[in-house]
Amino acid sequence: MRAPLIIVAAIALAALLGPLLLPWDHASIDWDSVRAGLFADGHLLGTDDLGRDRLARLLVGTRITMSVALAAALVALVIGVVWGAVAGWVGGRTDEVMMRIVDGLYALPFMFVVILLMVVFGRSIFLVFLGIGAVEWLTMARVVRGEVMALKQRPFVLAAEAAGSSGSRTLIRHILPNVAGVAVAYLMLTVPQVVMVESFLSFLGLGVQEPLTSLGILVNEGAEEMDVNPAALLLPGGVLVTVIICLTLAGERLRDRLTGTGRAAESAQ
Amino acid sequence: MSIFRLKDFCVSIRGKRLVSDISLDIAAGEIVALAGESGSGKSLTAMTPFGLSAGAGSGSAMLGDDELVGLSEAELARLRASQVGFVFQQPLTAMTPHRSVRQHLEEAAMQAGGDRPDKLAMIAMLDQVGLADAGGKLRQFAHRLSGGERQRVLIACAIAHGPKLLIADEPTSALDASLRREIMELLTALCRTRGMAMLLVSHDLASIERDADRLLLLKDGGVEEQGGATQIAVRPASDCGKALMAATPRMDEKLVALTTPGEVLLEVRDIHVRFKKPGWRSGYLDAVKEASLTLAKGETLAIVGGSGSGKSTLGRAIAGLGPVTSGDVFWRGEKLPARKKRTLLHRRLIQPVFQDPAASLNPRWRVADTIAEPAQVLSGQRPSPERIAELLAEVDLPAEFANRRAIQLSGGQAQRVAISRALSADPDMLLLDEATSALDPLVADGVSRLFAKIQAERGLSLLFITHDLALARRVAHRIAVMEDGDIVEMADRETLFTDPQAEATKRLIAASG
Repeated sequence: MRAPLIIVAAIALAALLGPLLLPWDHASIDWDSVRAGLFADGHLLGTDDLGRDRLARLLVGTRITMSVALAAALVALVIGVVWGAVAGWVGGRTDEVMMRIVDGLYALPFMFVVILLMVVFGRSIFLVFLGIGAVEWLTMARVVRGEVMALKQRPFVLAAEAAGSSGSRTLIRHILPNVAGVAVAYLMLTVPQVVMVESFLSFLGLGVQEPLTSLGILVNEGAEEMDVNPAALLLPGGVLVTVIICLTLAGERLRDRLTGTGRAAESAQ
Repeated sequence: MSIFRLKDFCVSIRGKRLVSDISLDIAAGEIVALAGESGSGKSLTAMTPFGLSAGAGSGSAMLGDDELVGLSEAELARLRASQVGFVFQQPLTAMTPHRSVRQHLEEAAMQAGGDRPDKLAMIAMLDQVGLADAGGKLRQFAHRLSGGERQRVLIACAIAHGPKLLIADEPTSALDASLRREIMELLTALCRTRGMAMLLVSHDLASIERDADRLLLLKDGGVEEQGGATQIAVRPASDCGKALMAATPRMDEKLVALTTPGEVLLEVRDIHVRFKKPGWRSGYLDAVKEASLTLAKGETLAIVGGSGSGKSTLGRAIAGLGPVTSGDVFWRGEKLPARKKRTLLHRRLIQPVFQDPAASLNPRWRVADTIAEPAQVLSGQRPSPERIAELLAEVDLPAEFANRRAIQLSGGQAQRVAISRALSADPDMLLLDEATSALDPLVADGVSRLFAKIQAERGLSLLFITHDLALARRVAHRIAVMEDGDIVEMADRETLFTDPQAEATKRLIAASG
């Protein structure tokens, strides 16, 4: 459980503080050493074809990718929890309508919609995470709705009603705190998905704008020169894969622990 | 001839000894029972010799001429398959959902290397366990069978390969009261006629007294008392035996006087609850049909019935915690409004206590917050820590419990906290929905005594929903018997048992005796 979280935390810390320690930023051009190799002229990872420090670009790219992912996952968390909790709690026809809307959105070719949005409104980082967050909340809403419906049947919720607790008070005080664990676990699982989507959009050239960069852009650039300089592809690719795998592992462990499946599996042994 | 013999048998888990020095001997056609409160090690003792628990056995366990202690898993599996049958507590989960009754029987019959039984043989097996329409049942899956039918199928599976020994681990505790008697009679008859030995794990002393030859009473992993089942059940020698006997309600025990009821508080007129059948099926199910009853101050009215008889639905309808299709509830002559319209004043009157203690408490809340909630909502003011300590003391829990969470409580403690929460509202009536049936006998007895004490101190009216007729006889002034949504009979406790009118009542009494 710990190891993946520590690795992600280390990567995040490096992405946040690393650029401060470097004499170059991600956009400045070192005219004396264009396309420098590893460790040349103080550039630890060399420079790209415009003479920009690869290490600085990698760190900034990681920072952008991870913050977009976190922001989008938080958007998904808020919309998903509110939507799912209301649908599950109110039930009946309201629930039917709300969940059919979710089904309908699921059916949309989401990548296509994001690309259309980009074309219509122009490229912006804000639009990227809004677009991603607006889609990723669907799963969250379904998970939360299921949880709320199960909790609604529990005797302690009936006891609260018998004690005169109003519907909204019961929802906020009894139901939501018990949903929180599961929601956080799925948040952890949403982040790596968003990392992937963001990278994919950037790879297609629809993500963040130059000179700002992200892991997706770096992988794209690296792919163009991988025959001469494989490190340019392997480094951002490696960071991307590590972050996704570690977050997924940590998220799954957290989900198992909080939803009780993990404990059930342990005691069954 | 001895079929199964334990000599100085001990069980430890991870080096910790949980059961020590059990010796017993079961001959062919004989039934030996293991009884005791939960945690006394009775299931461990029965399962460990066959490698079916997490524990490791030591000492000696002989099955016929084979020593079981020290055998490898494969050798144990071979012996289990050929000589031992098992019946477990949960008929709901002991069948594989995607396999038919026929497949279960075939697997059971062939486990010891026998031939695939033909259809007639399988019908004979099901007939033997008293399953009606055996031919038609062969094709069915677990979810189409009732709890009692499933348990019969599982018994048929357990004896399909002709075992010498049957291990029955609480075979009836998950079943309805009326079914328990039938299943136990079936098991006993099978043992006697086939000369099969049976090791019965149970906490139902009334049934042990009737069915078993000998009894071992366990406590904390050791034998507290052993001997003839009838003798121990009637005249226990040990303290543990005496406590257990006193805790178990019996149909023939002397009636203890109850408090005298006052004026009528609650009047229920023609409550009808109708559900739409689930899924795409058309039509409706009448869970409660035109039920009427009254409840006086300080009175206990028990509603008794099998599962699915509508007793819980009726209770919830009265308390405003469930749907009502038609009918009225009056409190001191004043009509109580529908569920959503009940105000805080109405809510205070009736407080519920539910069956499952673990699910009754919000797992994230501390006990103090749980108990404070009703008072806080109803009066708008959080009760003081002293008040919470008082409420805890009223259910015999120390004040330190205020800081615990639900997971740190045992079943009985959690149920006491749930009662304390109900009292915090300062109610006039409690709705007790199977409030003691998930607890083991000693704890259940403690909780039902607590109800009597609270009733005497506060003059509370109790609506006591239960499936246990003997318990109802012990605690209630009047008893209403429900079947299929109808209150078929309502009488005070003396009359109901001496002169039952309805068929359903007679059947229940026969099943509980």
